[in-house]
Amino acid sequence: MTAISRPATRRRVNLAAGGFSLPAVVLVAGLLYLPFLYTVYLSFTSYNGLGTPAWTAWDNYRTIFHDPDLATAARNTLLWVVGTVTVPVGLGLLLAVSTYGRRFGTWLRLPFLLPYAVSGVGVGVVWGFILQTGGAFGQALDFAGLPGKDTGWLLDAPVNTIAMIAAASWQSVGVNALLFVVGLQSIPREPLEAARLDGATGFRLFRHITWPLLRPITTVVVGLSIVGSLKTFDIVWVMTQGGPGTSSETFAVSMYKTTFVAGDYGVGSALAVALTVLTLVVSISYLRRQLSGARAV
Amino acid sequence: MRGETVRSLRRRTPLIAAVLAACTALAACGGGSGGGAGGGGDVSSLTLYNDKGAWKANFQDLGKASKAGTGIDLSPVGYTDENAYQAFIKSSFRTSKRPDLFTWATGGQLQDLVKQNLVAETTGAWTKAIADGDVPEALKQYFTIDGKQYCVPLSVGYWVMYYNKRIFAEHNIEPPTTWAQLMAAADTLKKAGITPFYQTNVLFSFVWFETLLAGTDPDAYEGLGKGTVKYTDPPVQHVMQLWKDMIDKGYFNDPGVKTDPQAMVKTGQVAMANFGTWFSGSLNSLGMKSDSDYGLFTIPNVDPSLQKTSVIVEAGPLCSAANAPHKAAVDKFNAWLFTAPGQVAWSNSRGDISFNPKAKTTDPLLTAQASFVGGGQVRLLNRYFEATPAPVLTAALDAFGAFVTHPDNAQAQLAKIQAAADAYWK
Repeated sequence: MTAISRPATRRRVNLAAGGFSLPAVVLVAGLLYLPFLYTVYLSFTSYNGLGTPAWTAWDNYRTIFHDPDLATAARNTLLWVVGTVTVPVGLGLLLAVSTYGRRFGTWLRLPFLLPYAVSGVGVGVVWGFILQTGGAFGQALDFAGLPGKDTGWLLDAPVNTIAMIAAASWQSVGVNALLFVVGLQSIPREPLEAARLDGATGFRLFRHITWPLLRPITTVVVGLSIVGSLKTFDIVWVMTQGGPGTSSETFAVSMYKTTFVAGDYGVGSALAVALTVLTLVVSISYLRRQLSGARAV
Repeated sequence: MRGETVRSLRRRTPLIAAVLAACTALAACGGGSGGGAGGGGDVSSLTLYNDKGAWKANFQDLGKASKAGTGIDLSPVGYTDENAYQAFIKSSFRTSKRPDLFTWATGGQLQDLVKQNLVAETTGAWTKAIADGDVPEALKQYFTIDGKQYCVPLSVGYWVMYYNKRIFAEHNIEPPTTWAQLMAAADTLKKAGITPFYQTNVLFSFVWFETLLAGTDPDAYEGLGKGTVKYTDPPVQHVMQLWKDMIDKGYFNDPGVKTDPQAMVKTGQVAMANFGTWFSGSLNSLGMKSDSDYGLFTIPNVDPSLQKTSVIVEAGPLCSAANAPHKAAVDKFNAWLFTAPGQVAWSNSRGDISFNPKAKTTDPLLTAQASFVGGGQVRLLNRYFEATPAPVLTAALDAFGAFVTHPDNAQAQLAKIQAAADAYWK
């Protein structure tokens, strides 16, 4: 103790701490901050990946805000946010609550968790075949005597985006349920037992006791879903490449196409910066609101 | 003694930490040095970067033949994602590791490299190859910018119509030689419940557009690629109407289909598919036999009054960076690639056609097609994918994809492409 309190030793400890953390700082700065700053710089230039970028000030930002295709991407991204927050989060909560504490509950949840082991690209390929016109889904509808056999599930907007949200939900319901189960396990027994003694059961018990106590984990699950849905890319790219036309593009798909397909690195970078700002603003506002609410509780 | 060592180590802890940090940073920054093209100075092998990851065995075959002929082997580094590959090649020009050999595309993409002086000139190799009769002079135009040649042709593909011979035989259809015959064949097939033609709403969504425009007004087709004709001009509008009529008649499969076109031809889901001659390799890989299971024919002009048959050509260039590390070896390899031994090795490994008339391929259909194209009654037109600048192409692929899905919106789609063209050619 006495040795550590000596100023010279403390300085050495601080220096050592700085030295050990330096590799991580160098890596984060080199692989994260520098590329981000370079992307911000490129967003103010005209650049096709060759030669020297030419400074164009705010032109790229003006371009993206006047691009009608970006309005489509905005609509689809909003659909993804709403769809992802409601369907997989809602179904995950339902699955967790309805199986938690039951006999064989873990086994009931397990099949829903398995798709999480599949990559987003794998999910896209499989569901692309299922949902193509006259594919497995259409044939199943036909077998059940239902209409829709020849519906172009991936051809018409906004049905194609909704179909892809359903495919993504198939993958993420299980992991959301798992997170909610962790939340349920952390709820203290006392308030639940007290509520039961007061006669609360079923939906009333959930609505007034379980749901408020699940708030911390709900904040995490919804927060992750919002961020994930704002940057939706892989499943859309594999299933429709944002098409037909641009009808199922999201912001992230538009950014990729503009940068790497059209070779317009300047406008693509402006889209990347705009998407980063949007994601930060939305997630920070959401978390602030939730956390200030939690403190009030 | 031990306590002394521990104290000494403690004193040196900040120093050790700093050294570790420096080592990590150096390892991160210095990784890969000395790897370079051609194995760090070894010119007995050239690294060939390519966007054809599935062709690794073919590049290795070519390397073996090249080693026997020139003493230079190839080490292929293949990418399967075209966009990632292009980003990689572009970024490599900003480093000291300029690629000795890399596959690229003609048209706007090659122009972009030449404009920045990034690609090596090959005028000498072209002049000699033409003089030796190793390459048709007509091919030179796709590799020429401001009077100089850049890159050499690795492969060449002529776009033709592949068909399922069993289906044609069952419905007594002969390979058509006029557009009217082709449409009559499509009618017959449609009435028999067979989808005549393949089409898709991604990537190859441009194929029928180029076929119809090249067969109707080849000058307008070339004008689009140069920015002298607008997508809203009458010849283009006429072709979109023609295309819509064919879609409305049910001549095409569902454009969102995920099944590979070669599988659709094999199983008879479609009777015909409009593709480059490299499609023979795709059909062969499914066990189909050339000239017995499938055949091919030159797509006749829509307008019979055109003097020459329009044939779309796709020339795949093999380029080298300006100031590439192993220029002498690259020049030697390029010169050999033009010759018959190089082309026989390549085209037989690929099961594809060769641009060199002296290189006879083992496939009689492809040999016949090469002879027809070389016969002089053909007007070669660069494939739309290469002939169109990247920003316009991106808009066009989207627009054609939307059009084949909902063919009532031709005007809006043409206006979208023209907006991208206006922005590019301004």
